[in-house]
Amino acid sequence: MVRYVIRRLLIVPPLILVFSVIIFIIIQAPPGDFLSAYIAQLAAQGSNVSMDQAENLRQQYGLNEPLIVQYFLWMGNLLQGNLGISLDMRQPVATIIADRLPATLLLAGLSFTVTWILAVPMGVISAVRQHSFLDYLFTVISYVGVATPNFMIALVLLWYVLSNFGINLSGLQSADMVGEPLSFAVVLDLLNHLWIPVLILALDGTARLSRIMRANLLDELGKPYVEAARARGLSEWDLIIRYPVRMALNPLISTVGWYLPRLFSGSLIVATVMNIPSIGPTLLRALTSQDMFLAGSILMIYSILVIIGTLISDLLLAFVDPRIRFEA
Amino acid sequence: MNNQKFLSTVVLALILMLGGVWVAGAQAEYSEAPMLAERVEAGELPPVEERLPENPLVMQVEEIGTYGGAWRRGFLGPSDYNNHTRAVYDALVRFNTTGDQVLPHLIEDLSSNDDFTAWTLDMREGAKWSDGEDFTSEDIMFWYDGVALNEDLSPSLPAWISNSDGSAATFEAPDEYTLVVTYDGPNTAFPLELANKDGADRTVAPFLPAHYMGQFHPDVADADTLDALIDEGGFNDWTELFIARVFPPDNPERPSMAAWVPVEGSNLSSQVFELERNPYYVGVDSEGNQLPYFDTLRFSFFSDWENVNLSAAAGEIDWQQRGISVANLPVFLDQAGAGDYTPTNLPTFGGSQVVFFNMTYEDDQYRGLFEQQDFRQAMSVAIDREAINELVYLGLAEPRQPVPAPYHVYYPGDEVAQLYTEFDQEAASSLLDSVGLDQRDSEGFRTFPNGDRLELVIEGSGEGVYSDMMELVAQDWNDVGVRTDIRLQERSLYFERASGNQHMIGIWGMDTSAFPFSGNPKTDPAYASGIADWGPLWIQWFQSDGAQGVEPPENVKQLRELHEQGRLSNTEAQVEIAQEIYTQWADTLYQIGLVGMTPSFAIVSDNLGNVPEVIANDWPLRTPGNAQPETWFFRSE
Repeated sequence: MVRYVIRRLLIVPPLILVFSVIIFIIIQAPPGDFLSAYIAQLAAQGSNVSMDQAENLRQQYGLNEPLIVQYFLWMGNLLQGNLGISLDMRQPVATIIADRLPATLLLAGLSFTVTWILAVPMGVISAVRQHSFLDYLFTVISYVGVATPNFMIALVLLWYVLSNFGINLSGLQSADMVGEPLSFAVVLDLLNHLWIPVLILALDGTARLSRIMRANLLDELGKPYVEAARARGLSEWDLIIRYPVRMALNPLISTVGWYLPRLFSGSLIVATVMNIPSIGPTLLRALTSQDMFLAGSILMIYSILVIIGTLISDLLLAFVDPRIRFEA
Repeated sequence: MNNQKFLSTVVLALILMLGGVWVAGAQAEYSEAPMLAERVEAGELPPVEERLPENPLVMQVEEIGTYGGAWRRGFLGPSDYNNHTRAVYDALVRFNTTGDQVLPHLIEDLSSNDDFTAWTLDMREGAKWSDGEDFTSEDIMFWYDGVALNEDLSPSLPAWISNSDGSAATFEAPDEYTLVVTYDGPNTAFPLELANKDGADRTVAPFLPAHYMGQFHPDVADADTLDALIDEGGFNDWTELFIARVFPPDNPERPSMAAWVPVEGSNLSSQVFELERNPYYVGVDSEGNQLPYFDTLRFSFFSDWENVNLSAAAGEIDWQQRGISVANLPVFLDQAGAGDYTPTNLPTFGGSQVVFFNMTYEDDQYRGLFEQQDFRQAMSVAIDREAINELVYLGLAEPRQPVPAPYHVYYPGDEVAQLYTEFDQEAASSLLDSVGLDQRDSEGFRTFPNGDRLELVIEGSGEGVYSDMMELVAQDWNDVGVRTDIRLQERSLYFERASGNQHMIGIWGMDTSAFPFSGNPKTDPAYASGIADWGPLWIQWFQSDGAQGVEPPENVKQLRELHEQGRLSNTEAQVEIAQEIYTQWADTLYQIGLVGMTPSFAIVSDNLGNVPEVIANDWPLRTPGNAQPETWFFRSE
């Protein structure tokens, strides 16, 4: 087991190096650089940046080095734990991420919790009472949830509430609450805004998870050990919760590792549509503006979390399933 | 002492006394916002008379406003830097509301000598930075010596202070409140240029608080102290440190002259970027109340413009045109009553959306075609501009060539503005026949005389209105037998291709058409804009003095000459030259105007006072900065 873990850990540094190169290439792949994107953006707003201005801006942003030099500068700083300064936001990348992390974690954590609280019972009821009214109801909800892009639901909801109640639901806080010290009113205002994105994000996850739960449980329910337990006179619900549900949960638990990077990046499109100050929209903007340091750092952290998440999943599996341990 | 002398002494004394009484009287009439009066009372601020210059800027107002309130706007964070620029419009001289005059603002007067070679800036005695330090000619000289002429900070000399031979114009400060700028030849564009030197586009404004910025500059600061500051901030060299500190919206500590200054700890990266009134702002209304009326200015951060639109629709924004989409007009009209606002049309300041052939395209056969005036004329009259107007702009724009607005002095007349805009596909067809495109292929499309396939490609940025317009233009051209395809591109890609001479036909907005002699005019063939590149290799030729690129034909050189003349002429002569430029411009069809005076909506809160009915709207005017938002106020109900 220990050797298995060490071997897995040893792969991590070269993987990160490979990722860093890929990330750098992807960010640099679109034509031009941050500055040409920035000048194009200024032009779209009516400005007309001249050659001398462009040259002075290039100096300001330190973009007059060749690409390969820029990569090594970036990597060098990264190895020293310095994420650099965002070209677009003009702030240290670490500060930008730290500012957005609480909202991101709060939103992802809550929607994750709500998803599990809803999905597992729904899946269990659907499976145990197969072809019942509730099963059909949950199935319909799940299909709608899976089939409708959740940013669409967000847009429709925003529009509906605005046109009927004249209220703008987007954002995590009302404009006059931002920056206020923590108080009951601030928390209330936060909760008032929070439930919508949480529900929208949870709907998507719930739909998928409850279908998986239902299918897993249906597989288990017909197995001989269930029959045997039932023959011994265990009460029906006691039996289901104690044995087949636990078995059916295993595949779900092994996917927990995948949630690690998702917790960090949050939902990109829903957060953009709903104007939530989380990391997702920041990444999107960093990519479109070719903000190398910000986009690069977020993607690096994301990749590292993917590696760690997969490692956790593998370890969980190895812990549960001895065959994996012994093969290693 | 003889009698006469005595008399004159008495008279002099009387005049002095009266003058003293008058000055004292005038000073006593100044008043200030309650929030500042409190701070004066608490001893944190000197009284308003001491904070204002001896001769403050008097801003004309429709009615005397009341103090208070926050002006709420939406913005996209640091990359939306110019949102702040437009709201505060912090410049030495400014454009007026109707955009046809440049008026003294932070300075008292701007005048030139007879041949426009020397410009004198008279500064306001006693004007102060937001930290209470004096604002003097030294603050401009600091910029000139320390920034403009410093090669680390400005690898290339800002074009507006360069002489015809490329050297820098001379800046001299004869005294604390006078500054003289001397060029080696006449320069009538100086006031226009100065009106846009407000730190926009992250260019350093030509007036800096020398007493504060000096600590970040090696010419002033002690080397060890400066090194310590560089290390402390984690910067690589002093230029990085200087740039990080020089823009007020990045650094609230940096003293400013604007009406609102960032509050402590608030900057462009904040969730809400908040500014509050500058206690030392130089402006007063006609009754001596110190401006601005709004207490604060709040920019809320949004992840994209659609969210700003949503917020505006819900009535959470007080005055904003930036980012407000015409396509959302039905939503705004629907919600206006509930949100207490009115969507108000601010048409663009003349100009037009344009489609243009690349006159220096590599392929000889195509370029040969584009060079023919009859061909361009045919392609112009083949376009159904009314359809574009209806489908893209709800019928609120008008078909026209890219010339200034009818109410602007540079307007060359209706005939020029409407030249070749009449929709006539028959005329287009016969013109096309006459330029040798009379043969058709099996699909019915025209071919080159030698039978080669003719296929035009319009390239453009896929954002906003351009994709719809490209679609419509391509359809019209297909209808007259010219096979046309469109290619939507990401904005940066389109820019790269256009400035790299790779595009065949481009499409873009030809706005800011009322400024042919300042900035980087889009009609001037010598300026590489990277935006509307109708002859990229000609631009190269002009910029490299003929060393690179392709030599343009005589009429283009003449056009260039006209722009140069305009910069050297007085105002009356400029009008004539400008009209000539636009007449040639419309006639040559280097850029084919589609529809112009396009609608652009501002969300205007219903309880705002002093907002002018007509506001000229253009980027050089810094709209709404030119409409004096310092004098706007909230009516209390």
